[in-house]
Order: sequence, then structure tokens, then C-alpha cells
Amino acid sequence: MVCMSLKIQTPPPHGGKLVDLVIRDTDKAVNMAAGAVGFDIRPTRSAIDGSPIRNVYREVMSIAYGFFSPLEGFMTRNEVESILKERRLLSGWLFPFPIIFDVTEDELRKLNVKEGDRLLLRLKGQPFAILDIEEVWRFDPRDIADRTFGTPEKNPEVVRRRFDEKHPGWLIYRSMGGVALAGKVHVINEPIFKDPYNRFWYPPAKSREEIQRRGWRTVIAHQTRNVPHTGHEHLMKNAAFMGDIEPCHGILVNAIIGAKRLGDFVDEAILEGHEAVSKYGYISPKRHMVTMTLWDMRYGNPLESLLHGIVRQNMGCTHHMFGRDHAAVGDYYDPYSTQILWERGIPSFGLPAPPYDLDKGLKIRPVNIKEFWYCPKCGEIAYSDTCGHADVAQRFSGSFIRGLIAEGIEPPPIIFRPEVYRVIVKWWRVYNYPFVNRRYLELKERELEVDLKPMEVSSRR
Amino acid sequence: MPYKIAVILDKSRIERIRGTPVENEVKDLYGGYLKVIELTVPDEIAQRILKEFPRARIDARGFIEETPVVFKRELFEVIVQLKSTGPEVFSELLKPNRLSRIKEAAAKEDEYLPPPNVAYCG
Repeated sequence: MVCMSLKIQTPPPHGGKLVDLVIRDTDKAVNMAAGAVGFDIRPTRSAIDGSPIRNVYREVMSIAYGFFSPLEGFMTRNEVESILKERRLLSGWLFPFPIIFDVTEDELRKLNVKEGDRLLLRLKGQPFAILDIEEVWRFDPRDIADRTFGTPEKNPEVVRRRFDEKHPGWLIYRSMGGVALAGKVHVINEPIFKDPYNRFWYPPAKSREEIQRRGWRTVIAHQTRNVPHTGHEHLMKNAAFMGDIEPCHGILVNAIIGAKRLGDFVDEAILEGHEAVSKYGYISPKRHMVTMTLWDMRYGNPLESLLHGIVRQNMGCTHHMFGRDHAAVGDYYDPYSTQILWERGIPSFGLPAPPYDLDKGLKIRPVNIKEFWYCPKCGEIAYSDTCGHADVAQRFSGSFIRGLIAEGIEPPPIIFRPEVYRVIVKWWRVYNYPFVNRRYLELKERELEVDLKPMEVSSRR
Repeated sequence: MPYKIAVILDKSRIERIRGTPVENEVKDLYGGYLKVIELTVPDEIAQRILKEFPRARIDARGFIEETPVVFKRELFEVIVQLKSTGPEVFSELLKPNRLSRIKEAAAKEDEYLPPPNVAYCG
């Protein structure tokens, strides 16, 4: 008789197989691009103030390198409708967000393309990827934005107030061009990551190899868009106790790299700040690894957590920690929306059960954690459900710490590791500012995280 | 719903409120590593601050955060001037002349904040 082992194994990729749409053979790449219609990728700019808020190249990368497996390209109208109705791809696999390659009517007229044509996407002036157009369809950006994130009337379980232009994710959809070019993509000219991004680039296949090389059976993912304070560190350390017959072997930090909200930390400091946590031994490097995913955050709380689950399962993680206000901004969603999703589902989003209990759902295990605070009575950082001194507890606040940093005050070590603070100061000196501001957004969109090698192809323009 | 706003006190700020009634309101944070004064902000004042400074927000603790540095600096100056942490502090702080001065300085802050003088331990 065979018993089911209590030991957990690396889950399969979402959809069963990792997507790999990267052409590594130059001759083949040049042939594929020959005769295609050229299009220079440009950032999506805010419909409100014109600042860059998204660059579709990051979505091309995340699709082609398998982060978004089993998604293979930009969505057709039917696929987007399926996402908005029940958060599923047409193949049935769960997926939270419409992934749309958008252009304006004017751009479409100039491109003069139709179904069956091939588009050569150029990045920084060089060939980068091709898009085989399966469908050209039109949409109302505001309608897609509203339906993507939900409304208090239609999604009362989790949506607390109507989304508007102050929500960065809603604004991304709202600012799209209104014409979608749907179809499969291939990267034909592999971008070269610049320092410091190159150290953290572990696409799913490579991440799985690295996990295997390290001998980790169980790995818990930590989502981040922040430089870590000690509250984050305690979350990582304590959530990692949830393994199988022993604590998780590894903690995989996965930073979301892309356009962010004004006032967030800059991407370089986020990556190197997390790196400092293990570099200086606060978590042993034997147990900790820092990686990144290219994605312009939609700040979609429960929906974003579903995407995080997909990405990290694809990367080979067995568990995923979810805290309060996961990938949230403002008070649009209930602060525990993500935990509601992973505990009982959100029927109004077409998710009547948690993602792991749905057909074609996820295999990654959620670890729902509330929060850590400083308790002056216990004299230590304590878990909110364990400590009985809620009346005197001092909660961590990223905003408070950012305010402290902006005033030029070094946060005390009990809330912020000095080596992590020094990483912030390092990048503060580079950009003359410690956080994302308009100048950083413009510079980032001009420079991006990558460079591209010159490649000669005979495109149509 | 009333919110709160905290002013962090370094050594020089603590000296400036020594001997005033405000000194009794100093609170220890995080095991005494930080000293702060917490002011209660009536809802209408909180909404006004959020409107005047678009990046300001209410954090998970119910505190108004991410206001410009100059706003917090001026807030402390008014506390010293009035020797109080009551609602009159905000009436003074948000007077048109003072507010426009704060906003003018805050606009420059979006472009540049001087980095502190600490060594990178690379």
C-alpha cells in the first residue's frame, strides 16, 4: 500500500509546462523577423499627467521567459472577456489580469496591419520581439479598467470603494490606446540586463534549476516592492516555518521591477536592500535568494496575489506568504482581500473557492500571515495574533519609515537594518532622491533595465 | 474620523521643547529608539492636508504620512511657537501665507532631497 508522503515536492508549472518563447539562434531570429512590420515600443503614459506608468516590453519578457505560463501572448477579445468573467484563460487555467498589447487608432492606421501579419517590436531602436497578429480588436479603456479591478456594487466581498485615476493599476488600463493587437510573441533578441538587475534575473527555468542545485525541497516566496524593514524580515523568517516536516528550506524573494507609484523606493534599492539582508547574515544566504519579475504593478491586492501565485509557482516555489494589504495601495480593497481569496475565494470574481481548490487552479500553498508589530511590553517584535498587548503595540508602517528617511534620520536598527539603510543612501546619491519621482520614472523608461545588441533585420519599416 | 500625525524628535528638537507643556507629550517608539509627538488631526483638517499634498496618505495605523519634509518641519515650528499640540496648531499651519510657502518649498523637494552623510558598506 502506498501512502501519500507528508513531504511536499516542487509543484508543476501553472498549465503543466513552462512557456519558452525565446529564440536563441540568431539566424532563425533574423529569418523570423524578415518582412515584418516594425513598431517601436514606447511607454504607456498616464492619461492624467503624461508620466510613464508602464512599458509593455516587461509583459513581453514575462510571457516569453515563462513567468506568466501558460500564457503565450497578448489576449484576444474573447480571452479578455473570459478573464473579466471568471479570471480564466480560454484554456481554462486561472489568470487574473487582461494582458493587452495596445496601440492607438493613429498608430494602427500607420502600421496598416491586420490579422495574420507579423509585427517586429523594437526596443531602444533594436529588434526585440515579434508579435503574430491573431486579432485586432477595439476596447473602451475605462470600461476595461473598471471591470479588471471590480466595483463595490459587483464585488462587495472585497472592493470597498470605486477605483479612480489615483489608483496606479486602474490608471494603466485607463491610459491604454483603445486598439488591441492580440497574438503570440517571441523574443528574438535576448536583452542584456544591466547592473544590478543582472544578478537577480532568474526566469522560471533557471530559478527551478537553482532551487534544485541548492537542494531545496520546499521554498516560500516573498513578494516585494519595498526595501525591507525588520517587519518584513520577521514575516519572512516566521512564515518560512511553515514547510512540511521541517521549515521551508528556502526563502525566495521576488521583487516586482517596473514603473511604480511616486514615493515608492527605487528598484535598485529594493533589490540590493533585500540582498543586504542575507549578505549581512540577518537571514543566512544558504536559505535566501533574491530574484525579480518584470511587471508594472497593477496594485490589485487579491488579483495581484493570484498573479504572484502563478509567477512563483512557475519559479518553483511550494509556498507563498501573503500579508495584510498585499500589493495594495489606498483603501480600494479590504486590507485582507488577498487572504479572503486564498481562504475561501471571491465568487464575484468568478472564483468560488480558493485558487488551490479550483480545477486548473494553483498548486502553490498560501501562508496567510497577519502582521508583526513592536510590543513595548514584550520588548520584542511580536506576531499580532500571538501578542496580547494590542492596546500598546506599535505597528510597522512603511510610510512612516519613508518619512523618517526623507527627513534624513537613520531609522533605528530595531526597525531597519543599518546595512539596508546604507543601500538606500547609495542609490539616493545616484538619483539625488531616495524614492521614485517623475525624473526617475522618465529616466527609467528611457534607460530601462536592459540593453539590446544590434541586430540587422529587413523589416518593412 | 480623527487621524493622527507624528513629528519625530531628534536631540535638537527635544531641546527646543524642553520645559514647555509639549515636553510631557513626548512618546517613546520602538523601545525608546525614537521619540515622537503625536497630534490628533480632525477629519476635515486631514482631508484638507490630503488635498493640498496629493502624495500624502493615511497609513494602516491611521497616521497621515508621506507629507513633504518641509510640512513636518513647519508643523514642528508651529508646535514650538504655540507651545501646544492642539487643533490651533493646524489653523496656524494652514494659514494661506504659510501654506503657500510650504507648497513652494515642497515642489522643490520632489526633485531633490540632500542625501545624509553615511558611508556605504558595499
